[in-house]
Amino acid sequence: MTESNFCGRTRREFLWQTGAGFTGTALAGMLSEDGFLENQAVAADGETAWTTPLAPKKPHYDPQATSVIFLYMYGGPSHIDTFDYKPKMKGMDNKTIDVKTFGRGGHKNQGRIVEPRWNFKQYGECGKWVSDLFPHKAEMVDDIAFLHSMTADSPIHGSAMLMMNSGKILSGSPCLGSWTTYGLGSENQNLPGFVVMLDPRGGPISGAKNWSCGYMPASYQATIMRAQGTPILNLAPPAGMTSETQQKLLATLDQYNKEHQKARQDNTELAARIANYELAFRMQTAAPEATDISQETAATHEMYGLNGEKSGTFGKQCLLARRLVERGVRFVQIYSGGNHNDANWDAHGDLEVNHNLHAAETDKPIAGLLKDLKQRGMLKNTLIVWGGEFGRQPTAEYAKGTGRDHNSYGFTMWMAGGGIKGGTSVGTTDELGSKAVENRYHVKNLHATILNQLGFDPNKLSYFYDGLEQRLVGVEGAQPIKQVIA
Amino acid sequence: MITRLSISTLSLLVLLTAAAATSAADADSAAFYKDKVLPILEARCFECHGPESELKGGLFLGNREGLLEGGESGPAVDTEALEDSVLLDAINYGSYEMPPDSKLPDDEIAILTAWVKAGASIPEGSELERPEIKHANPATLVTDETKNYWAFRPVANPAVPQVKNSTWVASPIDNFILQKLEQAKLSPASRAEKQQLIRRAYYDLTGLPPSIADIEAFVNDKSDRAFEKVIDRLLESPQYGERWGRHWLDLVRYAESNSYERDGTKPFAWRYRDYVIKSFNEDKPYTQFVKEQLAGDEFEPPTPDSIVATGYYRLGIWDDEPVSQKQALYDDLDDVLLTTSQVFLGLTMNCARCHDHKIDPLPQKDYYSFLAFFSGFKRYGDRSHESVQDASIGPIAINPEDRTRNAARQEMDRELGEQDRKINHVNRRLQELMTPPEKEDFKAVEVRVDIARKYAGKGLSNKLVDDYAAAVLRRKEILDTRPSEVAQALIIKEVGRKPRDTFILVRGNANVEGEKVEPAFPSVLSPPDPVIKTPVMTESSGRRTALANWIASDKNQLTARVMVNRIWQHHFGRGIVGSSNNFGNIGDKPTHPELLDWLATRFMQGGWKLKAMHKLIMLSSTYQMSSQASESELAADPANKLYWRFNMRRLSSEELRDSVHAANGSLNLKMGGPSIYPIIPQEVLAGQSRPGAGWGNSSEQERARRAVYIFIKRSLVEPLMADFDFADVDATCPVRFVTTQPTQALSLLNSEFMNRQAAVFAEFLKKEAGTDSANQVELGLSRATQRRPTKPEIDRGLALIESLKADGVPDDIALKYYCLTLFNMNEFLYLD
Repeated sequence: MTESNFCGRTRREFLWQTGAGFTGTALAGMLSEDGFLENQAVAADGETAWTTPLAPKKPHYDPQATSVIFLYMYGGPSHIDTFDYKPKMKGMDNKTIDVKTFGRGGHKNQGRIVEPRWNFKQYGECGKWVSDLFPHKAEMVDDIAFLHSMTADSPIHGSAMLMMNSGKILSGSPCLGSWTTYGLGSENQNLPGFVVMLDPRGGPISGAKNWSCGYMPASYQATIMRAQGTPILNLAPPAGMTSETQQKLLATLDQYNKEHQKARQDNTELAARIANYELAFRMQTAAPEATDISQETAATHEMYGLNGEKSGTFGKQCLLARRLVERGVRFVQIYSGGNHNDANWDAHGDLEVNHNLHAAETDKPIAGLLKDLKQRGMLKNTLIVWGGEFGRQPTAEYAKGTGRDHNSYGFTMWMAGGGIKGGTSVGTTDELGSKAVENRYHVKNLHATILNQLGFDPNKLSYFYDGLEQRLVGVEGAQPIKQVIA
Repeated sequence: MITRLSISTLSLLVLLTAAAATSAADADSAAFYKDKVLPILEARCFECHGPESELKGGLFLGNREGLLEGGESGPAVDTEALEDSVLLDAINYGSYEMPPDSKLPDDEIAILTAWVKAGASIPEGSELERPEIKHANPATLVTDETKNYWAFRPVANPAVPQVKNSTWVASPIDNFILQKLEQAKLSPASRAEKQQLIRRAYYDLTGLPPSIADIEAFVNDKSDRAFEKVIDRLLESPQYGERWGRHWLDLVRYAESNSYERDGTKPFAWRYRDYVIKSFNEDKPYTQFVKEQLAGDEFEPPTPDSIVATGYYRLGIWDDEPVSQKQALYDDLDDVLLTTSQVFLGLTMNCARCHDHKIDPLPQKDYYSFLAFFSGFKRYGDRSHESVQDASIGPIAINPEDRTRNAARQEMDRELGEQDRKINHVNRRLQELMTPPEKEDFKAVEVRVDIARKYAGKGLSNKLVDDYAAAVLRRKEILDTRPSEVAQALIIKEVGRKPRDTFILVRGNANVEGEKVEPAFPSVLSPPDPVIKTPVMTESSGRRTALANWIASDKNQLTARVMVNRIWQHHFGRGIVGSSNNFGNIGDKPTHPELLDWLATRFMQGGWKLKAMHKLIMLSSTYQMSSQASESELAADPANKLYWRFNMRRLSSEELRDSVHAANGSLNLKMGGPSIYPIIPQEVLAGQSRPGAGWGNSSEQERARRAVYIFIKRSLVEPLMADFDFADVDATCPVRFVTTQPTQALSLLNSEFMNRQAAVFAEFLKKEAGTDSANQVELGLSRATQRRPTKPEIDRGLALIESLKADGVPDDIALKYYCLTLFNMNEFLYLD
């Protein structure tokens, strides 16, 4: 391994600050490794002219994927009721067995089996078994790679979600979308590079911590985009202010600023601020255009399930995701489920009611997204990631009912597009799905795979903070999951 | 399919039988190793433990010596008890699990087992060479040479250097600066204009703009002491503590909630904030400030300040539902160690948690010896609200005579008891009604009212629930407003007079304890042995007092250097050591090491008082330079490392917000007390799992208080603050970012807050400047820029207003839009 390895073995000239403080513009170029810095259009030395930290940058290699859409199933869908077929559990309902589990109810050595509640059928050329929860998605299995042996460090929502989003169970690190925009910048400066869309029932627990840029500068923070009303906070001029008025106001502002700048030509931050008003003005037009789905055909609306009673909202978000990616947005994360309890996939009570609801909300939209990307030739460059922070246990959480507790010992996620080999399934859990047994993969391997598809060596994409070269995959590093890479 | 399955099962059986039947002699043969064992090792183990690997865990499996020597988990093969060898444990997924991605197939396990049981021999000629792992960097060993690193040497008292241009020198600081400039053949910039200088001084010391009257008084004061008088006045103003206290809050990861799922509120955290502000305003010696925070509870006797100060330990993130309680304890201790070593000592000791520090001479043992000072520490809490009360909340006054009973206090107690009775009654009823998951959730206090509401009309009467909600609010209010002699605070508590034992944790894993260690200071600093006395008055170990006394000492090589560097940093935008939390090898080298030591010496000689240091620095010519660039200097030293001019800077998020209120006349200078809640737009609240949860209401007047009083919720940072690079809320933040991004422009132009403030500004101008548009514009400009505007500038404003009116925009609105423009000006946000 090279010097970019943990704690940075050689002393590099780190750009702690330039001029008046710690500037994001200087830090943006701080990707280590040969040749990488030179590729950057940013002022890595803190002395050259200002360029936005989100200017497009080249990764280490030619990327397979140029954008990511992360479909986040908040709460943790049950793998054995969806994609991880467990025929041997048939007929075992209510049987008490010895099995080690660890969820919010603590460590247990025994439990009452809750047999998977949906029937499975085989689909596609690959013959993948998929439960009746996902009749639409099932048609797309030949484009999907299933990871059945996922493991995570925590079976508790708060820390597990931080792990899935930022690679660490401790609060304070940047999440995947921030790493992506830090590494790649954004193709379209008129739109944010990293967009998060939330469930109308509320955000996930820990809220903004899930899309935080952590110790990185605010340039890499997520922008929340809403499916209804003004898409982005502060995007629309205040009520009553017309575009003409705003333009006049900006023209006057520009005159004041340019005059102020005259005697301070060397200060690039002042120039950057002036440029940012133009950018902001353009965003005011670009974002509403990007989110205007009336431009889409009725057939497209139908394909995404926009007309469905339950699937309308998520469908619209999936459609928006496609439109954003089409316009150069790097990273889109959509949350299925919000708030608490059964408002998301966290099926502690009635498993059937819970999963029937959330599957109905997302199945058609996700299938529509995959189909649409495929027919437009965009799937090959767009990496789709599906899953929650963990899976669920094979046994019941309580003496009565079908509710399942959390399970981070083994669960399923899937990926599609962006250079991922469709129609594959890797890793297995045991006969009950209680834990991963073969080819176990950690969340870090998933992250490594995502970075790899984006053109990065996941063990080299680093950011210097707190005395060491921080990486999304952590100090120990992690390898991409080669079996699913085309 | 069925046939295929049985065939493979069958062949597996054959294999298993074959392996099991391997005689010890066979398993000991060279052929067995080469044909059976080595291929498995190569395929499964060598990636991490082979001849071309980096030897994970220090283990090499390619030769006999490697097997016997083993790695961090001990020998891989135990020749005394072959069957108990760690290697076999690991491949069978016992206490270790190797290979980590999946367990080996049974036949391979059988082969390796046979081989190990037969003695794990490796035939001659098959022994592989152990790869050379890069030798430890000599800079990381504690030696005479590394002890001589600049930051680890005692603070020197360097002579003030001679310079040529002595007329420029106003303070010895200037000698140090000018010497380097002259060496580099650079000239210092001219003196800043008086208006620029006073604006700079006001913001630097108080975070607020001067008034036009302040500026004019200064400009017209022709005495030599004119600027000194301004400095003296500002240092005496209470707003000084609010500005400089906030710098300290950045360092100690100050926030008022815990992060994670519940992101619950830290009770009384604001008292720590007030303590910090008060300490700066009182010009408390820095040594005392350090001791109070690190060990104020162990003072004999403690003072209310010294008790509140220990809230320092409680400001970090807290996972109330950790995966492993043990690991969580060490994560919390690491947070304390990281903050303490970086903030007070400029050392990244946290990098030595899992292994020796890779850059600095800080062995892993030193990490755990340092950790031992905190090993009496009780965790913040254990899941429930009540546990937090037990572990982290206590009275401010410990002397019984302070708790004088009086009528007001009795009335408060009575009312508190009344609220408690109402609350406890409903809590008991709820315990009978709630589902098991709700009972689990109920442990956190934040969700209790929400849960109770679910049972309104379903087991609890509506009135009872309303009363419950009111009682919870009232109870908090009573606790927040009790007089100090009966008030509570967020404090540290220890497990008792005998702390936990501390062990080196192998690879930082809380479950793998190594050698036991005793408290000790980092060895590279050649420190004295800690003197630990068990306190009489408090149930704690006295270890933190020993630590505090060592840090807060003239003998400590780092404490004074680190703190004067921070003072310098906040005056000049960059420390003499740029990486102000890291004075180690990977940190920045000091640009002016002699000046740093000279300042550190002055600081100590002056009794560790900050205000004298501010004055010393601000009276220098270096501080009073213009920010104007000159071409030759800019070409030679574009980053201004040698200080040939003053650095321009943008206002911080707090300064920006405060300046908006200052400009439009609404700023409320009320100090202290529970935090305030600005209005957060619905779009932002929608990101919370319970939109609006944990965010309160404040009156308009309260919302116009200084930004340092805004409630800091880790998962919900006020958006204007976040956009303008507010400090990282989860970890110590030595230097804030200064980013420039379009969201800033959008929020200053379009946000509800800015537009509301623009309207207030317009009203203010109409009231103060009368009906004449030109007067309104002139006053607006002067309040935004703190200077008299020129005629063309006024005309430009008038032209905008006229043009908007011509479009049919009403007069009031046109003026409001002009005010909004003022708030967006670069000159409003940037200081020369």
